[in-house]
Amino acid sequence: MDRRDFLRTGGALVAGVSGALSLPALSSCTSQEAQSATVLSGKKWGMVVDLTRCREGCTACMDACRTENNVAYHGDKRWDIHWIRRATLEPKEESAGLEEKSLLLMCNQCDDPPCAQVCPVQATYKREDGIVMVDHHRCIGCRYCMIACPYNARFFNFKENPEWPNPEYPRRSHGVAESCHFCAHLLDGGGRPACVEACEATGARALIFGNLQDPASEVAQLVAGGSAKRLREDWGTKPKVYYLGL
Amino acid sequence: MKRSTVLTKKNRAKWATAFGVVILLPVILSLVGFVVSRKPEVPVVFLEAPDPRWENCVRDASFMRFRHMELLKEVREEVIREGLKGGVTLAGCGDCHRNRDQFCDRCHEAASVSLDCFGCHYYLTAAEKAGLGR
Amino acid sequence: MAMDVEFAKIEGRSVPYLTSVGVLAALAVGGFAATLIMHEHGLYLSGMTNRVPWGLQIAMAIFYIGLSAGSLVVSGLYGVFGRMEYKPFARIAAYLAMLFLIAGLLSILTDQGRVDRVFTKPFTYVNATSMFSINPALYSGHIMICVLYLWALFKEKGTLTKITSLVVVIWAIGTHTGTGAIFAFVPRELYNSALLPPSFVAAALSSGAALMILVLVTLFKATGRHLDDHLIIWMGRRLLSIFLVVTFYVLLIENAHRAYLAASHEAGMFFLFGGIHSFMFWIGLICVGCVIPAILLFIKRTGTSVRWTVFASTLVVVGVLFERFLIVVPGLVHPPELLPGWEVTDAALWEGVVGYSISYLEVLQTLGVIGVIGFMFMVGLRIMPLAPKEARAAAGA
Repeated sequence: MDRRDFLRTGGALVAGVSGALSLPALSSCTSQEAQSATVLSGKKWGMVVDLTRCREGCTACMDACRTENNVAYHGDKRWDIHWIRRATLEPKEESAGLEEKSLLLMCNQCDDPPCAQVCPVQATYKREDGIVMVDHHRCIGCRYCMIACPYNARFFNFKENPEWPNPEYPRRSHGVAESCHFCAHLLDGGGRPACVEACEATGARALIFGNLQDPASEVAQLVAGGSAKRLREDWGTKPKVYYLGL
Repeated sequence: MKRSTVLTKKNRAKWATAFGVVILLPVILSLVGFVVSRKPEVPVVFLEAPDPRWENCVRDASFMRFRHMELLKEVREEVIREGLKGGVTLAGCGDCHRNRDQFCDRCHEAASVSLDCFGCHYYLTAAEKAGLGR
Repeated sequence: MAMDVEFAKIEGRSVPYLTSVGVLAALAVGGFAATLIMHEHGLYLSGMTNRVPWGLQIAMAIFYIGLSAGSLVVSGLYGVFGRMEYKPFARIAAYLAMLFLIAGLLSILTDQGRVDRVFTKPFTYVNATSMFSINPALYSGHIMICVLYLWALFKEKGTLTKITSLVVVIWAIGTHTGTGAIFAFVPRELYNSALLPPSFVAAALSSGAALMILVLVTLFKATGRHLDDHLIIWMGRRLLSIFLVVTFYVLLIENAHRAYLAASHEAGMFFLFGGIHSFMFWIGLICVGCVIPAILLFIKRTGTSVRWTVFASTLVVVGVLFERFLIVVPGLVHPPELLPGWEVTDAALWEGVVGYSISYLEVLQTLGVIGVIGFMFMVGLRIMPLAPKEARAAAGA
């Protein structure tokens, strides 16, 4: 029994009665649509960020993400939302003398996501294909996920998003939390994340995306190559975003 | 002044009244609100005329009229948890029902059921969808 | 024997009483309005940001929840430990404990982004691994047991009082451990510490006992009823002082451990010597909240004076308020170390060490919660026989 199972069992005892309420009701009215759940099975989406190819000053992936997912930008660092962002890292005393690094940060799509562990309404959860998603219809805006995320990759809608660049994708009301979900709406339709497309369009090909469970895929091979690193593996969150040249 | 219980026989009625008013206040307020905001003339036909293509809708008209919310909620849960499977989506409504005001808002207003969809979902009509060119 | 304690409602017609009820009601309305405004326009009106997503409201919530522990212990002196001379305080302490839990829940409630969903979603979709799912069960259970306990006290049911007071004290330990676990079970350097729940319980007991002393002294003075000094002095010297020592000890170990280990050394040093919060820690919590009141209580001359006990209690309440703030904010202000040995200096998100400033609407919300429970307390005194006609130590009766 590992830690999560232990917590589950313990919590289930506490929450037993109310848990019974969450059993899915109303299974009758969509039986027609109920295709097999194979859309998600047999996949673990993952991304490799090749920092050696990433160009300083390029914002293609960030712009594409903002446009595709209607990510709010208010021009104020306190409330801006970034599903993917660039950070500059400077060496501390112990690594003094090394050159500063430029890094792309996004939701690490952990395999053991602390945000999903703490969400009181299961609004944040891990899909079968490993994507950590937020059900914004459920989110009560407690911001516990932001507290729990050690990567600071989750954001809260402090303000209503003033713009709506992509009407085909919903925006978020103020008062709910959000983070990158690998453009799950595009993946399910057979596409790829907007940032990956944009990066490829610039010719840099710094973002490589694919199915980690498919040994033939480029990401799986890069990861198997051994030089891909993840951020703070010691936290045990098992991220699915890998970095080359970190 | 030697009273050691919450209620005495004397003030029991008073407390009961106060309690009743507090409990019933929301009901009274909503009734008042309903009467005050009620518009005198009720349009005879305030929804759009049935589209000739109604047969292609995801369910028959009577089901959609009375149980669309259940369908939407269930589909929403499935789509978000189990991936986009096509089929029923809110984004598909605009293909036939060109006017959100006539399709959703008027009836919801008349039934005084508030909608929490369009703060986040854009009601895309067929024409707008074509304009996006995607 | 001091068995026959007579309880009486207060008259509640004096000008000070009516004024304070009016002021508290106004505060409650102000808090309600502030909450409405904030939730109409978004939480950016609070001082919170994407880097510091929890602020004053959560700190106050855990402060209130902590206060309820001490009240229950004072109440349990009679029920659990059989100290008959403390029977006069049992009812009022139990009532206050219930109010503080309500205050805690109200603070959390008004802090949510989508308050409209709070009453449905958490009950429909429970996540058994979330402390935020487990705690509401603990809190509401706590409130319900408090109600049962109060009823037993009012009806003078001896056995039921004993059982419920024991259950409520045990349950309170669970509640406070759960509250500490909200922070302790999260992978952030300044949060994740197994000692956080115990230190939360210890600080909860000291702040609650201190506040009980303040409330009792004020109440008896305001109503002109008799209160034996011995009772207050015993609470100060034998309860509060012990709680303070335990709090100090747990805090010491927690911080020493964090600063000692290489893995958390940097974060620990940031907490202890890294900014305005360190000032709060050393001056506000350690000096004002622990050491000075403990010394005051241990010295015989000051410890046996009601005045000095009240002063020490005030210091403790202030100190623990700082402690609660220190649990929540520094852990968020301190940046996580994404790549060991490297420091994020520039990014689109506010990186590095950030600040948190409290907005006036948040203050209004906080005052509003105090208004609500203060109002309930004042009205409760008038409609329920909570306060005793007099409180005498057994020897003096």
